Amino acid sequence: MGEKKQHTDVLVIGAGIAGIEASLLLSKSGRRVHLVEKTSYTGGSVIKFEEVFSNMECSTCMVSPVQQELLQDKNINLLMLAEVEEVKGSLGNFTVKIRKKARYVDLQNCIGCNACFDPCPVSLKNEFEEGLSERKAIYVPCAGALPNVPMIDTEHCLHFKGKSCNACQEACAFEAIDFKQKDESIELGVEAIIVATGYDIFDSKKTPKYGYGKIDDVYTAMEFERLYASNGPTEGQIFLKNGKTPKSAAIIHCVGRDEKGYCSAVCCLYSLKFNHYLKSKIPEIKISEFYTDLCIPGKSHQKFYEKMKETGTQMIRANVVEVTKSGKEITVNYKDENGKKSNLLVDMVILAPAIEPKSDASELAKILGVSLDEYGFFKGENQDVFSVVTSKPGIFAAGCCQGPKNIQNSVSQANAAVGKILSATKTKMEGDITA
Amino acid sequence: MTMKIGVYICECGPNISEKVDIDKVIDAVSSMSDVAVVDRYKLLCSSDGKKFLEEEIKKHGLTHLVVSACSPKQHEKTFMEVCENAGINPYLFQIVNIREQCAWITEDKDEATEKAIRLTKAAIRRVRYHAPLEKKEIECNTDVLVIGGGIAGIEASLQLVSANRKVYLVEKTQSIGGLLTNFEKTFPDMQPSSALINQKIQSLNNNENIKVFTDSEVEEVLGFFGNFEIKVKKKAEEEPIEFDVGAVVVATGSNIFDPKKTPQYGYGKFDNVINSLEFEKMNLSGKISLKNGKIPKSVAIIHCVGRNEKKYCSEICCMYSLKFVRYLTNKIPDVKVSNFYSDLCLPGKSYQKFYEQTKGNTDFVRSMDVKITEKDGKLNIEYKDETGKKSDLSVDMVILSSAIEPTSDASKLAEIIGMSQGDGGFFAEEHEKLGPVSTSTEGVYVVGSSQDPKSISETMVQSEAAAGEILSSLVPGKKIEPEVKVSHISESLCTGCKTCLSVCSYGVITFNEEKKISVVNEAICRGCGNCAAACPSGAATIKHFTFDQIYQELMEAVK
Repeated sequence: MGEKKQHTDVLVIGAGIAGIEASLLLSKSGRRVHLVEKTSYTGGSVIKFEEVFSNMECSTCMVSPVQQELLQDKNINLLMLAEVEEVKGSLGNFTVKIRKKARYVDLQNCIGCNACFDPCPVSLKNEFEEGLSERKAIYVPCAGALPNVPMIDTEHCLHFKGKSCNACQEACAFEAIDFKQKDESIELGVEAIIVATGYDIFDSKKTPKYGYGKIDDVYTAMEFERLYASNGPTEGQIFLKNGKTPKSAAIIHCVGRDEKGYCSAVCCLYSLKFNHYLKSKIPEIKISEFYTDLCIPGKSHQKFYEKMKETGTQMIRANVVEVTKSGKEITVNYKDENGKKSNLLVDMVILAPAIEPKSDASELAKILGVSLDEYGFFKGENQDVFSVVTSKPGIFAAGCCQGPKNIQNSVSQANAAVGKILSATKTKMEGDITA
Repeated sequence: MTMKIGVYICECGPNISEKVDIDKVIDAVSSMSDVAVVDRYKLLCSSDGKKFLEEEIKKHGLTHLVVSACSPKQHEKTFMEVCENAGINPYLFQIVNIREQCAWITEDKDEATEKAIRLTKAAIRRVRYHAPLEKKEIECNTDVLVIGGGIAGIEASLQLVSANRKVYLVEKTQSIGGLLTNFEKTFPDMQPSSALINQKIQSLNNNENIKVFTDSEVEEVLGFFGNFEIKVKKKAEEEPIEFDVGAVVVATGSNIFDPKKTPQYGYGKFDNVINSLEFEKMNLSGKISLKNGKIPKSVAIIHCVGRNEKKYCSEICCMYSLKFVRYLTNKIPDVKVSNFYSDLCLPGKSYQKFYEQTKGNTDFVRSMDVKITEKDGKLNIEYKDETGKKSDLSVDMVILSSAIEPTSDASKLAEIIGMSQGDGGFFAEEHEKLGPVSTSTEGVYVVGSSQDPKSISETMVQSEAAAGEILSSLVPGKKIEPEVKVSHISESLCTGCKTCLSVCSYGVITFNEEKKISVVNEAICRGCGNCAAACPSGAATIKHFTFDQIYQELMEAVK
């Protein structure tokens, strides 16, 4: 394997936790890494969470040292706002074309003071905050984003729409704003590729029975994560749409499970985490969890479940759940274990939707020339469920692009992909050190 | 040499200069002892700024540097590099955060300035007590010890040898292969496990870089990352075998929970109540039969045996129970199989499909309080259904899907290696999320079900992950750079109370019985500071965070 190898650099696609961990480990081994990230920031999904189960560690505190390490690593060529356009060749000898969009803010000059935000006259819904808050045309997704350097959204920026606005440039004391930056086309030669592009969340509108999009105060898990986040739209305060504090909440598990045809492995646990979120802000809140089967595998998670149960949460095993609104209150209609119809009035509903492949996964798979499985995730070797080996030698998949999983398993896969790459390379022995 | 401290204040454009009266800061600190020069600059982190600092250090012959600027997270490394380039030790430097901690947190310029003065003064007084620290390099051995010859250990070994590393594989029993050799097939692909394991065993046997010790146990692990000294004891041999390695992979696997501890299931009492491993073996033998040699017409599979006792879900039991349904219906086409369960745990993309394709061949009974009795030569399952109603079912055979638990000798091994055991008695990983295969002992990795119950596929991923960690950190010809800011225990101050030994999270402190003092292995200390905080006599200190340094800094800050 790899006898005719020309390249030793590695391409990693996606700067979420899996891509970052893989890049850092490769760099440690002495490899040069090109890390391609579609957005303007690093950290992926994990930075959207305030806390992570089961030890309720602060998520940004956990990830930001790793992000800092990444940004300071001279072996890692981090290409943000970039996407892979073309991949040719084979193991040891891939030629990769990357399209890198201009950020219009100089990464070296910008010191992250945010002075450019206020003067910008454009206001838009912030996608990172699930549309729950607004951003400018020059923006960072959230406070604490790394690198702490904004980008310009040229689709909405007045300057790029032909108007004479230079407000951000005038406000910048560091000559960091550069309207003349150009998109770049980059060509790289790499030995191997790790795909770590993460996941999307199932669109709850596809299950209309839960009322998402129609009934105020029916939230998705991601929206709720941002509501609870101290750097989120409400700075961590949980409010109803009318500004009041909810007295009761229902968490509905397995949203989209039937449609997707698999269990997403993390929803029960993050739903239990939401219990903690709610109780820590509103101690007297009444919480009901609607579920069918509890899936809490592993040595630490039952303990976490028991702890959550102690807070008085009602666990309701229910088959058919429908959310309706009558007057001011939201009603959760359900059939209990005995098949009896029942209902519950609540102020707020949180849906726990399934994890699904990224919307552009199939496009990327085509570019890479690798297969996806029947669900649209990157397919492992044979039918091996967790294997990081894809259908094409030299291309590996790690994290949720390979299948729904928790952070621990994503990091294991990232390190495993590195292991596969390094072990496929016969180390040149110096002298007879290990013989 | 006289001390010459240079103090530089960054304006950070308007970010600091608009909120902090920098001239006032300069005035306030100029007269402090040993301060040779104080100046301001527009943006010290810019390439011009760095060049300016470097030239200043050389021009004034500075011995120490203080920079009042932004968060150390952002630019401490930047200015340490400047120091190195200018020829002064990077630890004779202190950064002061007057942006995030002064300029950006108040609208009150006087307050911001006052705080900036205090913090800068404190840093100047602190830096006078700094000592130069030197990076060390140690040679490392790149060979690896793998403990456990199951699929986890085999996979780790194969990954390592294919990168030309030498591996010592130590297996307690007389042959390698582990639990997997008992299985006919693996879920969810239902491929023969022999195909998976035999091929791996063969490539392992053919590799001259792997030395396999069967019937052997690890007796001693001394030393540290890059330089472990190992003693292995082979059964029937007098002398232990000794060798050195750079890293250790623990892959000792798991046992199944003993169903005798849950007497309600009648295991050990009734002939045809068997545990999951016994059933795997029976199935592998080619014939599923009752004790009397007859073929069972009805079989019950009881899930979650031992879950309440162990207090965790073993992750794979639902799936292997479904696999058992496949075994049964393949071998006995008209058999009736019933699963007694409480919650189905089918995490991940492929398991639900396996369930859907299997459920037509079995009943799923969501049940509680399952109890097994024997009646007229048949087994009777009494249970409460999900509505709480009592019911029962008569079957020929009962299979108990037992929980996964750590091997009985896990704690012995933990002690030999210096690993800790976490939830459920499984070996504890370094970090639940970010360090899934590393442990608190650097260079010791844990993979497979000795770390947490898991499937074969997940196990193999962990083995590959450990290989990734080892191959990237132990590189032939490359030296290891240990942490610089580590603990130091003063020989003269140590009273031998051993407090530090009990608080060290990394097991790097040993007790010198001859001198009756504690000794830190500085090569592997991670500098967490536990020992320094706990030491009652002030003998343990952390370099760069010594008592003097912190005391002087605080005294100036609160003056």
